[in-house]
Amino acid sequence: MRPTARLDRRIFLRMAGAAWLAALGPRASFALSRTDAVFASGYMARDGSFGIAVLAEDGAIIDRTPLPARSHGMAFSPATGHLVAFARRPGTFALAIDRSGKQEPVTIAAAEDRHFFGHGCFSPDGHLLYASENDFDAGRGVIGLYDARNGYRRIGEYSTYGIGTHDLCVSDDGRLLIAANGGIETHPDFGRTKLNLDHMEPSLALIDAATGALVERHALPAKLRQLSTRHIDLDARGRIWFACQYEGPRNDLPPLVGHFGTGEDITFVSLPEQTTIGLANYVGAIAVNRREGLVGLTSPNGGRFVVLDAATGRVLREESLADAAGIAAAPHGFAVSSYDGRFAGRHAEVAFDQHITGLAPHC
Amino acid sequence: MTRRYPFLRLASLFVAGMVAFAALPALAQEGEAPVPPDLSDESVVGVMTRAVDGFVRPGYQAFETSAGTLAQAITAFCKTPSQQARETVDAAFRQAVADWGRIEIVRIGPVLDDNRFERILFYPDRKGTGLKQVQALLQKENEADADAAAMGSKSVAIQGFGALEYALYGTGAERLSAKPDSFRCRYAAAVASHIEATAGALAAAWDAPEGVQRDWKHPGPQNPVFRTGKEAITALLGILVHGAEAVRDQRIETFYRAGGIARPRSAVFWRSGNTWTSIDANIEGLQTLFDTSGMADLVDPNFRSITGNVDFVLKSLRRIAPTVDTDIDKAVSMPEEQRKITFLLVNMRDLILRLNTEYGGAIGLGAGFSFADGD
Repeated sequence: MRPTARLDRRIFLRMAGAAWLAALGPRASFALSRTDAVFASGYMARDGSFGIAVLAEDGAIIDRTPLPARSHGMAFSPATGHLVAFARRPGTFALAIDRSGKQEPVTIAAAEDRHFFGHGCFSPDGHLLYASENDFDAGRGVIGLYDARNGYRRIGEYSTYGIGTHDLCVSDDGRLLIAANGGIETHPDFGRTKLNLDHMEPSLALIDAATGALVERHALPAKLRQLSTRHIDLDARGRIWFACQYEGPRNDLPPLVGHFGTGEDITFVSLPEQTTIGLANYVGAIAVNRREGLVGLTSPNGGRFVVLDAATGRVLREESLADAAGIAAAPHGFAVSSYDGRFAGRHAEVAFDQHITGLAPHC
Repeated sequence: MTRRYPFLRLASLFVAGMVAFAALPALAQEGEAPVPPDLSDESVVGVMTRAVDGFVRPGYQAFETSAGTLAQAITAFCKTPSQQARETVDAAFRQAVADWGRIEIVRIGPVLDDNRFERILFYPDRKGTGLKQVQALLQKENEADADAAAMGSKSVAIQGFGALEYALYGTGAERLSAKPDSFRCRYAAAVASHIEATAGALAAAWDAPEGVQRDWKHPGPQNPVFRTGKEAITALLGILVHGAEAVRDQRIETFYRAGGIARPRSAVFWRSGNTWTSIDANIEGLQTLFDTSGMADLVDPNFRSITGNVDFVLKSLRRIAPTVDTDIDKAVSMPEEQRKITFLLVNMRDLILRLNTEYGGAIGLGAGFSFADGD
């Protein structure tokens, strides 16, 4: 049987990944194990190379781990200290680093006919890694299941009951997986071109983590079918907060953020018109600060950082921040990064990617 | 027989030389960065207008015309098969492929509505799905399949260039000349007419004064496509970056990758020998859009080397693409031809970086265009 082009690419990545891992050595684990390491974020350096930056609370970069290509979201397990960075969609690799240094870094190649789609999460005990993936020939989202105790071997997959799956979360008790199905169909033959903007199917799905069965599926109403549900986080009450990117007319003012609990209907937050305009119909990242009851949003397109009261949805703070990128809960409020190198008020000569992952207990 | 280009052995050195060349202005202005232009709603009107009126609209209009010429040529050939009529079809097919190739780089706007892009060109057909459908259709000879008006409701795989190329150049195409008005020939004419209709719909969508062209030319708070000048320019640069990525990833690397297994039968338009016609037209489209729109004028005059480098790489690509052997089996197996393809891949990567990072950064898109193309 002749291998396909995609298999070629995977073999190439494995080869490149092996050389790159050999060069990586124990530095990655060392950086992660430092007590002042609080955040991690993907970045692009000025020379066009990519990596993961580990940062202190004040935004200082403690160390960098090179990556062979651009990463997007990350998954961190407080239980095991493992950090996984996912390639940007449509991605063919993920990198797993053991914070304790007991295990060598592992590259995870995407399965045949699957692509990583930028996000993932760990089961609470850290034994399983769930990755958002795309079954591109069938045009459906899937969750790849990987055994973290066995070299991240792929042990199965679940359906996400939607298309264009992006962000993925797990409930605190580990029983539910929450998939943000953005509803946008893409295919590697067409790069990142959005193929179905005139018939999108966004939805949010709750999936039984033990069986893969669908528990709940919230499809967006017809009038909001171009509202792509892309990022999610959980608040202290277990409610799912979701943030959206609108693909419809640019002069529409759609709802961009909402929440729901298990068994509840979706509730959209009614933001002031100027706040919605400021977010430019595009929320790039969302984070919940559980301790302080806050929800943070960033929009690179609008250059905006917004904080909501999780209890009421009221806007508490709104700031202009050019190229606002990632956001994560901090001891007080949020740490926010930007494409032009700002992180928690500091500036570095890198471009931070779209997401920040918290490594400390308060996150 | 193709000419030999011994300097191609130095492909990687060529790019390295370009990088050093590009670094010179930065050294001369150490610590300085290009002053980004004002991308207000008003200031981008000129660039956007030139892009639409000087590239996009003429591009779709030319494609509609050549698709119509092709349909007429095939119809005439079907009625009266002859060597001369066949040569007219071949020339018209090549022209239509080239005209589509130039405007194909626009993967945004009306071409994405109603699957028009795939209707015009269903490619790659990785599992041979489209090929099997066309082969079955030709076997059955159902008259309804030779009706251009009904084609829009059928599989996209049987109504575009892929299907047409197989009908005209695939196995059994030699029998097209055997008798007048064969089913296969009339099916080919119907496909060409359908492509013309789709091209006409695209031209009409862009030509409507109050339609998408107005939205592209005049960004503003009430605009349904671009609320700001920066959004409009970002989309324009997106055509170039995504177009260049598509040439590399979806047009060349689908059949040839340095060190990989070559798949000449996966090349676009390999049956008709128009692979490089299509790819060269793609590159010409990138070059024409960049030049016609005046995007270079947005860059700080002290950093004009940024746009000069883009221009240089585009010209280099266009110098080589038409010279690669049109027989794709030879192109992927002969060392001299392999070097040319490698040259194209290396320099296409360079072009993407220069557009994305250098040009994007120079016009104020932070870390570059695609970095801001978040998720």
